[in-house]
Amino acid sequence: MANIKEYIRKKDGSKISKIVIDRDLCIGAASCIAVSNATYELDNETKAVVINADAIDDETLIMSAESCPTKAILLFDKSGKQILSK
Amino acid sequence: MIESFKYLIIGGGVAGVTAGETIRQKDKESTIAIISDEVHALYSRVMLSKPNFFLGKIPFEQIWIKGDEWYKNNKITFINKQTAISLDKDNKTITLASGKKISYEKLLVATGVHPRPWKVVGGDKKGIYSLRTIEDGKGIMEAIKTAKRAVTIGGGFIGFEMTDLLKLAGLETTIVLRESYFWEPTLDEASGKMIEQVLLKAGIKIIKNTEVIEIIGKENVEGIILKDGTKIPCEMIVVGIGVIPCEMNWLKEAGVNTKCGILANEFLETNIPDIWTAGDIAEYKDLILEENIQLGNWVNAHEQGRIAGLNMLGKKTSFKFVSFYTTQGLGINIAFIGDSRPLPDRIVIKRGSPEINSYTRILIVGKELIGATLINRTGELTTIAKLIENNVDISEKHKELGDINFDLKKLL
Repeated sequence: MANIKEYIRKKDGSKISKIVIDRDLCIGAASCIAVSNATYELDNETKAVVINADAIDDETLIMSAESCPTKAILLFDKSGKQILSK
Repeated sequence: MIESFKYLIIGGGVAGVTAGETIRQKDKESTIAIISDEVHALYSRVMLSKPNFFLGKIPFEQIWIKGDEWYKNNKITFINKQTAISLDKDNKTITLASGKKISYEKLLVATGVHPRPWKVVGGDKKGIYSLRTIEDGKGIMEAIKTAKRAVTIGGGFIGFEMTDLLKLAGLETTIVLRESYFWEPTLDEASGKMIEQVLLKAGIKIIKNTEVIEIIGKENVEGIILKDGTKIPCEMIVVGIGVIPCEMNWLKEAGVNTKCGILANEFLETNIPDIWTAGDIAEYKDLILEENIQLGNWVNAHEQGRIAGLNMLGKKTSFKFVSFYTTQGLGINIAFIGDSRPLPDRIVIKRGSPEINSYTRILIVGKELIGATLINRTGELTTIAKLIENNVDISEKHKELGDINFDLKKLL
């Protein structure tokens, strides 16, 4: 089983309702933190964790997921569909 | 007719591609081209040295960050397998190795760095690897299938990650360091010893204070000879002894200022109008340290690509960023934040200790934090980076910084 952590997002007006981090893929490059240190931090295993799922707008959140060099951050809408960049 | 692009980006790595992406988000119509010396669309260079990737725990396909269709969908012309060899700044034209000329309105040079060549007798034998491209990675992947014994050279990132990988792949592995401990001098000896302990525990041999003087074998590597004459048999060698910038003479000849990298101000602009630089090759004015520095890591290159893209669009934005990088393996987690160089004017506060296997060093100049090194305390990375970024005055807080039970977040 994949080692994943899910974080529910309840930000008003956002089309993203869930952030998923695949801890097997995460290498702690921390590019997500460079995009938003209000959303993510690293834990002592050098894996990204979400500290505030509602901290930033959708565009920045998508950018944070796209910055990941291992594609370890997945974003989902309310219907459970994965959100991909344009 | 000379082909012409409004935005011309030389370098197909994360800095160049992020710049192109940033430009396209704000300017839907203008022409953009990215020139790469490699054949591939953007891939994750940092994954190349990760054991999970090598050993198939991360699927190979995961390496592709952008597919060929991304360039097409975003109307970005991708010119692969080409390098620039000259620049005519007055006519805003570059010439490629193929002889083709391309003109630009705005130029970004993000060509990166490559591994420092290893000059040693017998260095032309088969079985010696360094790591920059996906082809290098594939070469190592292939070699570990048959090799029984490996030697890694250099006590830094590549040395650490490749040693971990080779050991996991079942090879008898020896690491050779020129220094007296691992990651000298960026880490202190106590931190370096913590890394050495996990390497030793995993059954890896560490040989310090020495250098390889000869590689033996016929066509293929059969072993190395150290300075004191010791012979170590091996079938493969992985070298990680630092990096040097990609070719810069063509820029120098055109009047672009360079030193260890391409010199740039805080907007990542070079001394020549309409030419920017980003990523590992940029030697830029760091606003936090107030000096010119050059950093080689994914996060930095990504962020600089974004900032360079904005500046090329005319949205003047300075690059102000506390950089960090991490690595982990063999049960140890290592991180570097900001400026962790051990220069004489630094005050170093120790937090935790090697004895409890949890050890942070905080580097201070004057009233402020400027950097840190973390062993098994990566959880503090974000907080320390914020303390540096926000220039928090910690002159009265040295005691708290050294107290492992004090939550650093309270200082924010």
